[in-house]
Amino acid sequence: MIMEGVSGPAPEEMAFGEALGELEAIVAALEGGQLELEESLARYERGVALLRALQAKLADAQQKVTALIGELETEPAEDM
Amino acid sequence: MDRERAVSVSEAMRAAKRALETITLTVVGEVSEFSDKPGYRAAYFTVADADASMSCLMWRDAYTASGVSLRCGMLVEMRGQFSAYAPKGRMQFVVRKLTLAGEGRLRLQVAETARRLEAEGLLRDDRKRPLPAYPMRIGVVTSPRGKAVHDVIRTLSRRYPIAEVLVAGVPVEGADAVPAIVDGVRAVVQAGAEVVLLVRGGGSYEDLMPFNDESLARAVAASPVPVVSGIGHEPDTTIADLVADVRASTPTAAAEAAAPAVSELTGRLDKLSRLLARALEHRVRHAEHRVRLLATRPLFCEVDPLLGQAGQALDAAARALGRAIPLGLARDAERLRYAHEGLTRVGPRIVERGTDAAGRLAARLGDLSPLAILGRGYAVCFAPDGSTVVRSVSEVSEGAKVEVRVHDGRLGCMVETVEEGR
Repeated sequence: MIMEGVSGPAPEEMAFGEALGELEAIVAALEGGQLELEESLARYERGVALLRALQAKLADAQQKVTALIGELETEPAEDM
Repeated sequence: MDRERAVSVSEAMRAAKRALETITLTVVGEVSEFSDKPGYRAAYFTVADADASMSCLMWRDAYTASGVSLRCGMLVEMRGQFSAYAPKGRMQFVVRKLTLAGEGRLRLQVAETARRLEAEGLLRDDRKRPLPAYPMRIGVVTSPRGKAVHDVIRTLSRRYPIAEVLVAGVPVEGADAVPAIVDGVRAVVQAGAEVVLLVRGGGSYEDLMPFNDESLARAVAASPVPVVSGIGHEPDTTIADLVADVRASTPTAAAEAAAPAVSELTGRLDKLSRLLARALEHRVRHAEHRVRLLATRPLFCEVDPLLGQAGQALDAAARALGRAIPLGLARDAERLRYAHEGLTRVGPRIVERGTDAAGRLAARLGDLSPLAILGRGYAVCFAPDGSTVVRSVSEVSEGAKVEVRVHDGRLGCMVETVEEGR
């Protein structure tokens, strides 16, 4: 049996929006109830992996700021 | 000294005209009268200040090229020269170049640019693209100094720290601003920005002018990714705001528009987590239920249901037959009844007719009957076999028994003699 959409890139390496989109699609497919039981289980596992990766991304996030042009002045004290 | 030679009025005006046409000036003033009729070859107007006024004309081509639509009360800057109109003895200022003056000029120029872009459809709502829901790279084009860039970075750090922020620090005022901003947009898009924030803090109307520039507006419109503008503070609206896919009122608002809040995201993930678990549980329960249902299906318990359908078809056919037969019978009975009635009606007449005919035929038969001939006195002689009529003496011999029939009976006779001849 082909397990469509179950395999895919490692969740940790996916862009946030991409992983979230796939997770939402998995939830929708499972809720549709049209999948074979085995495929439902496989998708569920994939969904859990995506969910963990997404939650980890949010928990560890540290904003990265890159100046492409010009040099950023440090923030003026009065704005702190 | 000779008395000065007198000249004609025409000559005098020609001299004045020549003298006036040496005066070329740039003049600023307010339009106090204006007349631009379709048939005229020039636009005629009067420009005045508190103490003086001058009649002006501008040839049609030059006026159209200026792009200005004159109205009374406008402050204008005109470059041109004086001249004289001999037929009326009037001095006039022939305008070669016309622009609007001061902030009024800027606002009108901006309105003019906006109209042009609108006519091209660049400001239409259906050009506005939706922003990516979860951008991984956010471009910021703004001054590297000042509050705006920090407002944006702080807001993004608070709301959506998972994205990388790509900053193009560019001058946002002065002559270099427009090309630098256009380059900045291009640079962040090339570096992978999925959305561009074009922001700057508040300033005077003139300070914001680079964001009213037509080439900047076209660069924003041509950007392959959506642009969010946050320029100045409300109620300033620049052309960049009009062309942008999303217009935010301030740099902070632009950052908020471009990025979802982490708190929303964690809430969303929690909800998805619950849905995922529930969906699987539901799926498993559904499968279990189906198996149970199948196990208790009559199919697995008794055999009747297997034949049920065929049985029902049979019943249906029987019912149809039951209905069809009496129906046919009834139809036949009806036909019979008609036939019977018809016969009843016609029958007696046929019989009557038959009786008459029979009577006539019987009478004729009576005439032809041999018995009727016998009635007249004739007799017939039958041979001894009783059925052959004796027609000749040769058919009998003496002593033979013959039967002679007369009209009312028969006589048994014996041939005594046989004589030939009549």
